[in-house]
Amino acid sequence: MITFWILAVLLIASAVFVVTAKKPVYSVVGLLANFLALAATYLELQAEFLAVIQIVVYSGAILILFVFVIALLSSGVKPFEVGPDRAPRIAVPAILFGALVLAGIAATVVGANTAALRGAAGVTGDANAFGSVADFGAALFTTNLLPFEVTALLLMVAVVGVVLIAGDEGPAGIIRRRKRRPIEREPIVKRERAVR
Amino acid sequence: MIVAPENYVALSAVLFTIGVVGVIARRNPLIMLMSIELLFNAANLALVTYARAWVNNVGHIFAFLVITVAAAEAAIGLAIVAVAFRNLPHVDVDDAAVLKG
Amino acid sequence: MMLAFVWLAPLAGGILLWAFGPQLRSWAGPIGSALIGASFLATCALWGSATAPGALHVPLVSWLHGWNFGLQLDRLSLIWSLIITGVGFLIHVYSIGYMDGDRAFARFFAYMNFFVFAMLTLVLSDNVIGLLVGWGLVGLASYFLIGFWFDRPSAVAAARKAFVMNVVGDVGMMFAIFLIVAKLGAIGYADVFAGVGHALDSGTVFLICVGLFVGCAAKSAQVPLHTWLPDAMEGPTPVSALIHAATMVTAGVYLIARFAPLWSASAEAREMAGVIGGLTAISGAVLGCVQWDIKRILAYSTMSQIGYMIMGVGVGAFTGGVFHFLTHAFFKAQLFLGAGIIIHALANQQDVRRMGGLRTRMPFAFLAMLVGVLAICGVPGFSGFFSKDDVIYGTLAAGHPWLYAVGVLTAGITAYYMFRLLFVTFFGPYRGDVDAAALGIAVEPSGPSVAGHHAEEEEPHHHAPPGLMNVPVAILILPTIFIGWLDFGEGSPWKQFFRGFPGFDAAATSAAMPELASTGLVLAVVAAGFTLAYARYGTTAALRDAVARLRNETLRTPPVLVHAYYFDAAYELIFARSARALGSWFDRVIDPHVIDAGVREVAISSEWLGHLFRSFQTGLVRVYALSLVFGVACFVAYYALAFGVSR
Repeated sequence: MITFWILAVLLIASAVFVVTAKKPVYSVVGLLANFLALAATYLELQAEFLAVIQIVVYSGAILILFVFVIALLSSGVKPFEVGPDRAPRIAVPAILFGALVLAGIAATVVGANTAALRGAAGVTGDANAFGSVADFGAALFTTNLLPFEVTALLLMVAVVGVVLIAGDEGPAGIIRRRKRRPIEREPIVKRERAVR
Repeated sequence: MIVAPENYVALSAVLFTIGVVGVIARRNPLIMLMSIELLFNAANLALVTYARAWVNNVGHIFAFLVITVAAAEAAIGLAIVAVAFRNLPHVDVDDAAVLKG
Repeated sequence: MMLAFVWLAPLAGGILLWAFGPQLRSWAGPIGSALIGASFLATCALWGSATAPGALHVPLVSWLHGWNFGLQLDRLSLIWSLIITGVGFLIHVYSIGYMDGDRAFARFFAYMNFFVFAMLTLVLSDNVIGLLVGWGLVGLASYFLIGFWFDRPSAVAAARKAFVMNVVGDVGMMFAIFLIVAKLGAIGYADVFAGVGHALDSGTVFLICVGLFVGCAAKSAQVPLHTWLPDAMEGPTPVSALIHAATMVTAGVYLIARFAPLWSASAEAREMAGVIGGLTAISGAVLGCVQWDIKRILAYSTMSQIGYMIMGVGVGAFTGGVFHFLTHAFFKAQLFLGAGIIIHALANQQDVRRMGGLRTRMPFAFLAMLVGVLAICGVPGFSGFFSKDDVIYGTLAAGHPWLYAVGVLTAGITAYYMFRLLFVTFFGPYRGDVDAAALGIAVEPSGPSVAGHHAEEEEPHHHAPPGLMNVPVAILILPTIFIGWLDFGEGSPWKQFFRGFPGFDAAATSAAMPELASTGLVLAVVAAGFTLAYARYGTTAALRDAVARLRNETLRTPPVLVHAYYFDAAYELIFARSARALGSWFDRVIDPHVIDAGVREVAISSEWLGHLFRSFQTGLVRVYALSLVFGVACFVAYYALAFGVSR
C-alpha cells in the first residue's frame, strides 16, 4: 500500500518534471526516473518480465537514443524553443481536454462494477505462475506467436525507415550534398481574395 | 493484492493526461516525443493492471507489443527530428509549419 | 419483295453516290437515273397487285401491340409512286444535262435519289409513324437541295427558311399523331379509319385534321406557311421541277386524300381546308402576275395550283384533287424543265424582262412552254382542263359557291399570268442586251458574284441545250396533253379507278348548276384572262415598245404585291423580332443576373468555405495534436456516459 503511494507520487512528479523541464536533457533525466518507478510498479503488479524489459529497452535503449539526438542538435549553435510561439494559449484547451479525459476515466472506473474489475468474474490463468518469465514466454511463443513475429517485421521496417530518412540517400543526405544550403522557409503571405 | 486496481487505473489516467499536456503545450520536438513515451507508458500501466486483475497475461503480451512499437516510434521520430531540425534556425515544431493553408 | 426494291433502290443509289461520288464522276448521273428508272419499272410491274382488292401490303416490323410497320401500295400510293419514280426518272435524266459540269455533280444525284427514297417512304408507309418519318426526310432532302449551291448566301437562307417552315408543319402533324396514338394505341391507317366514329369522336377527328392540316400547309405551301416556296427556287431548276412542283409540295394533297375517311367525317375540317386552299389559290395567282423571275412565276403558280388541289380534296372532291395532282405533276414539271432549258441556254438568266423573242431562237423550248401553259390554263383538250374543271365543279357540288367563285376567278388570273410569261419571254425583241435600268430593274449593289458554278459575268451565250435535256421534255409533252382524257366523262377510267377507295365516296354531290354550264363559265373567264394578257403583252404595239412598258409596269407594281402581302415582314416583326427581343432580354437580365450570378455565388461561397477550412490548417503540429486529443476526450466521455456514471 505504502509502496503504491510512494511510486505514484514518484511517477506523477517525474512526469510533471518531464513536461515542464526547461531543457530536454532535464526531461531525459525525469523520464529515466519515471521509467524506473514504472518498472517498480510493474514488479508490484507481478509483471516481472515487463519490469526488466522496461529498464532494458526504455531506460537502456530509447533514452540513450534521446540523449544522442539531443547531443546532435545541440552541437550547433541552435537554441531550443526560442522561436515565436504561434499558439501561446494552447495549453489551456490541452489541460481542459486532459482534465476531461481524466474525469471520464475516473467516472468510468469508479462507476464500474469493481468486482469485474478485480477479476472475480473469472480467472483465466494460474495465479501462482502468473507474471513469471516462464509464463510470459510460453504465452508469447505459443498463443501469440504471430504478433511476436509481426513485431520483428515492424522493427525491421523501422530500421529501414530510419536509414532512408536520415541516411545518405535520404533527404538529409541530399541536403548534405547540396552543401548544406539552409532550407528557406516559404513566406506565409495572405493571398489576395480573388477579384469578383 | 492489497491495492485496488482502480488506483492503478487512476494513476495511469493521470500520467496520460500529463503526457497529453506535454505533447500539446511544449514546442520542443524532443520533449514532445518524450511526452509521447509517457502516453505509451500510461497505457501500458493500465494494461498491466488489468492483466493482474484478471490474472490473464495477454495484457502483458500487449504491453510488450506496445513497448516494441514505442521503440520503433522513438527511432523514427528521432530520425525525423534530427533531419528536419538540422537546418532550421530553431529546434521548434512551430517552425515546421509549411503545411499552413 | 418487289415493293421493298421500289422503296430501297433510290436509297441504295443515294448512299452509293454519296459515298463514291468522286470515283464515279460523270457516271453518277446515269447510275442515279437508272436506279430511279428501275424503281419506276418495278412500280409499274406492281400495278396488278396494287389494284387488286385489298391492295399490296408488306408487313416489315412489329414492335409493340398495334405498332406494326410495313409498306402498303394501294391505288392512291400507286399513283403517287408512279409520279415520283416516273417523273423523277425523267427529271434525273434531264439533270444529267442540266447539271453537267457542276463540281458537285455526284452529290446532286445522291440528294435527288435520297429525296425519291424519302418521298417513297412517305407514300408507301402503312402507318402514321412511317408517314411522319417520310415527311421529315423529304423536308431534309428539300433542305439539302435548296441549299445545294451552299456558297450562295441566298440559297442557304432559303434552305433554312424552308426547313424551319416545314418543321412548324411537322410539329402540327406530330400532335395529330400523338392524338391518334393516345386515343387508339395503334398507328396503322386501317386502325385509324376503323376508329372513326368509335374511339375517335367528331371533336377529336377535327383536332387530328387540324394538326394534319398544319403539316399539310407547311409542306404544300398553303397560306400562311407558304413563304418558303418562292425562295426555294434558289435550288437548281430540276430540283424545283421535282420537289417544289411535281412531288414533295403535293404531299399535303396526299395526306388529305390518305386520311379521306377522317376528313369525310368532319365538315369543319373540310371547310377549313377548302377556305385555306382557295385563299392560297387566288393569292398565289395574284402574286404570279407581278413576278419577273421565271422560276418565281412558276413557283407562285405552283402554290396556286396546290391551292386548287387542297381546295378540291378539302371540300371532298378527292378524285378531282388527286387528278389535278396527276396532271399538275406533268405540266408543271414540263414548265419547269422548259424554263430550265431557257435558263441554261441564257447562262443563268432568270429575269423574263431580259428575255423576249426566244420563240425563234429556242423553238423547242417555246413548244414545251406553250404546251405547259395551255395545260395549266385549262384549254380544252389539254390535261389541266379536265382536272381543274373537276376541282372547280367539285367545290360547287360540295356546296361552296364562294369557293367556286374563287376557283373560277383564279382560273382567269392563271391564264393571265401564264400567257404574260409566254408573251414576255418568247415574243418581241430579245432584250438580254438592254440596259437593266431601262427595264426598271433595280441594280443590286454589286458584291462579289458568288454564283457557284455559273459564271454570271460571262456574256450570255445562246447554246442549244444538250439533247439529253430535250428528251425528257419531249416525253413529258405527251402526258401533258393527253393524260387529262383519263377523266373524260361521267364514268371515266379515273373515277372508276378510285371507286370505293376509303373515304372518297363520302362527298355529297348536289350541283347548283349543270357541269357543262360551269365549264363554259370557266372557259369564258380563262378567255378573258388570255385576252387581257394579249392586250397588255401580245399586241404588235405592246411588243414594239416592250422595254418602256415593262419599265413602267415594274415601277408601278403595288408595293403590297411586290412584298407578297408583307408576310415575310410580318414574320420578321412577330417572330424574329420578338425572339431577338427575348434573346437580348435574356442576355441583359437572365444571363448576367441569374445564371452568371448563380455560378458566381457558387464560386464565392466555395471560396468562403475554403477560407473557413483554411483557418483550421494552421500547419502547427500541436494544433493537430489538440484536435486528436479532442477526439480522445469525446471517446472517453462517451464511455463514461454509457458505461460509467449510469451504472
